[in-house]
Amino acid sequence: MFDSGADVIERDDFCSLAPIGWLHHKMQDSFFLVVGTGSCQGFLQTALGVMIFAQPRFGTAVLDEDDLAGRDVLTALLPVAQAVVAEHAPKAIFLGSTCTPEILKMNVAGCAPAIERETGVRVYPARMDGFDASYTEGEDHVLLAMVERSPAGNDANLVILGCLSPIEEAEIRLECRAMGLPVPSFLPDESALNLPPIGEKTVIAPVHPYLYQTCAYAARERGARIPPMVFPYGPDGARAFYETLAAAFGKSVSYEERERGAWASCEREVEALRGRSIAFCSDALLELSMARTLRAAGAHVPFVATPKVYKKFHALESQRLAGVDVLEAPDRFAVFARLMSEHPDLVVANLNIANALEGMGFNVKWSTELTFQPIRGFSGAQALFAMFASAVRRHDALARGRASVGSEVNPIDLNFFRPERHRVPERIA
Amino acid sequence: MKLAVWAYQAPAHVGVTKAASSFSGIHTVLRAPKGDGYGAIMFAMFERLGVVPPMTVSAMSQETLAGAAADIGRAIVDVDRRLAPEMIVVTRSATAAVLQEPLDGEIAMIPAGTVKAEIFQPDTHPVRDTEISAFAKTVCQIVDHFAVDGRARTLEPSVNIIGPSLLGFHDWANVESLRRLFDDLNVKVNAVIPLGASPADLRAAGAAWLNVTTALELARPTLERLHQRFGTPYLETVPYGELGTTRFLGELSQILEIPKERVRYSARNAKLGWYARTVDAHALSGKRVGIFGMPSAAAGIARALADELDMRIEFAGTFVTEEGDWLRSRVSDLCSEVLVTDDFQDVARAIDRTRPDIMFGTQMERHSASRFGVPCAVISPPAHILNFPLGYAPFLGYDGANYLGDVVNQTQVLGLEHHLIETFGPRGQGRFAEAAPEGKEEAVPTSSELNWDPSAERLVGRIPFFVRKKARVNIEKYARERSIAVIDEATVIAAREHVGG
Repeated sequence: MFDSGADVIERDDFCSLAPIGWLHHKMQDSFFLVVGTGSCQGFLQTALGVMIFAQPRFGTAVLDEDDLAGRDVLTALLPVAQAVVAEHAPKAIFLGSTCTPEILKMNVAGCAPAIERETGVRVYPARMDGFDASYTEGEDHVLLAMVERSPAGNDANLVILGCLSPIEEAEIRLECRAMGLPVPSFLPDESALNLPPIGEKTVIAPVHPYLYQTCAYAARERGARIPPMVFPYGPDGARAFYETLAAAFGKSVSYEERERGAWASCEREVEALRGRSIAFCSDALLELSMARTLRAAGAHVPFVATPKVYKKFHALESQRLAGVDVLEAPDRFAVFARLMSEHPDLVVANLNIANALEGMGFNVKWSTELTFQPIRGFSGAQALFAMFASAVRRHDALARGRASVGSEVNPIDLNFFRPERHRVPERIA
Repeated sequence: MKLAVWAYQAPAHVGVTKAASSFSGIHTVLRAPKGDGYGAIMFAMFERLGVVPPMTVSAMSQETLAGAAADIGRAIVDVDRRLAPEMIVVTRSATAAVLQEPLDGEIAMIPAGTVKAEIFQPDTHPVRDTEISAFAKTVCQIVDHFAVDGRARTLEPSVNIIGPSLLGFHDWANVESLRRLFDDLNVKVNAVIPLGASPADLRAAGAAWLNVTTALELARPTLERLHQRFGTPYLETVPYGELGTTRFLGELSQILEIPKERVRYSARNAKLGWYARTVDAHALSGKRVGIFGMPSAAAGIARALADELDMRIEFAGTFVTEEGDWLRSRVSDLCSEVLVTDDFQDVARAIDRTRPDIMFGTQMERHSASRFGVPCAVISPPAHILNFPLGYAPFLGYDGANYLGDVVNQTQVLGLEHHLIETFGPRGQGRFAEAAPEGKEEAVPTSSELNWDPSAERLVGRIPFFVRKKARVNIEKYARERSIAVIDEATVIAAREHVGG
């Protein structure tokens, strides 16, 4: 038990409440009501709190000692939900259950129908605890709650699943029209009430690699078709994505030319990455797709550390990454050791270890940004590569400046605060 | 259940982690769902630490819910092996506490000799303690644990500075400012607790001649405990402002028997008092301010602004509700209203009601004040990345008093400029034009029976906006009394001569 060398101990994972940050922006008529502890509230405040000005459309119903001691959930929650409705008048409330309700087996989801009945506002109960989910999978659970409420449908339709920016949606809409496919519905859409019909003739195209649960539910419960996907990251991913959509509707379309053109437009960024080695140790679940397109761009990927790989859902991405070592949920220190031996040109890492890795001498790209940027499709490819290329260029530029005077940077550690730091060393005095 | 969108204090486990992880050679292992570990991101981002954050989450998982053992032993063994701290502080978040895992039992099961570090579980309550109370208790307990009895005092006068920590408010600079002062006085810094103090430093905690603090509410239990065990005297005064610093050094020099000339020497760069006498600062007299923050900061800054800059305190307050009485005892002579609340909306209402000229508060007050067009200086946590400046920006000591003057300055339209803007109006003044409050240019309704000549309109337009309306009324009154039908430049001048304005 205590010979812990290869065990999974410490991963650097963000909280799955984080997607509220982009989802509440996407669905402007929604309110995210999180049932949890002061810690959940603190996380939302710290991670998303800058939005406090704009009357944030998210808040935490903080469990007090009576709640923890077993008070009826609905009795406590209903007045909070009513106050939210009175103050914010949302069209829909996402009722997020977190770790503590899960531990206490509080039936938060079970309150949804009653709250809906009492307030007249639609309530989607979403499991947003972080026991198993990676942080981006908070979006998966929210979309799952919406698909559960989607109407049944008998007609052939196309649902693009996953939160996208308007510009990304516009590209997909245009391409679908050009290919003669049905007009796609987007989930989520601007309104939390917009739910596409989902039935056996529905094709669901997930745009993110972190939407497994929703897809599995739609396939299992509604018979929807979810073709095996390469996700639309990078020109190669975008091509595969659109060709898959076409094939799903019985059309054969080649995006070969289009892909070549997109690579040409990305040349300036790609040029900075060609031949560079880029390693991943982050938890956005975008790692496989990013590594795949960076490899296609000519970068070398020594390894990819990611919280989890869904064997079937990620099968095509994994295939395209053949030969790359994929570490599932590795121990933090094992990753450090691996980095030390490989010493890649760029490390894609989470916020909490990004500075530490810089302190160890690595060039780091912080990974959380990957989830915030409109980088999907052909039109997003340049922005995607630019995130990595600018990190490489910045590192080179700073190194040039340093080299010009031959000095080293001093990373801040706890010794920085110790009094002896202020004494002139004897060898100098 | 209560809806919360914003809180002044984080939960208790954050206080424990902030305290424990600020010591060097001590690592915190937090038993919690992984999301509760966001403190690690704050260490990395706000303090810009270039090392692995001094905390590790032993993450609860689906298996935990299914009844698997907490396995906290593994995390402890691993941290010990990889990072070799002298002490591992184990704590849990409220969520983890709900599950009532037998952590003690699991820790006891670690085979003897496997872990070199000492394992320590602070006695704090995950729900009933707040960030601040948990912080204060943790610091005290760790210091008490290490401090060795029977240590002689240092040969030369020395102090412990108790209170500064990682994620503390301008704490690096505060410590630096105090250290410079103590250098002048030939007083050694025995230890800064917890920021950077190692277990070896703590063993010698009793060797200091005197304990001082940067925030009483964070240090009180430690100050009292060290007094109890070692008889070490301590100062409650926190050196805010020039006078506050002088008062602080006065108390300190009495205990440490430092000659007065030496204390005076240490004040050679103090400028706040002189600044207050300079013409530039005359406009500050009587300016109305609101203050809200940590109790020590609120009390210290209220006193400095009132006693040293002649500003008027509309209200002072704190979110540390258990320190409300202490704050009242410190500022009741300065202001009639002491606001003790942990609801930011209460503070926003106080700002709205009193509309101070300047607000001094936390990042939340900065947001609230901006809604009412009130400028706000941030003087207390909760803070923002902006409150972790790279440069030297202390709030304590003489340097801190100087910086406070700068903060006031930067929040205000400067005196002489202000005069010029008032005299000549904001138009065509380049960047000064921005200083003119918006929305004050609306046309003042004029009486129907009077006609204004455009030249007179232009002239009135040059009168400072805040007296313009009154001037108009006076001019029209003057014109009506003398049956002047058309107000021209001459009327304006004559009215001014007779009525004033």
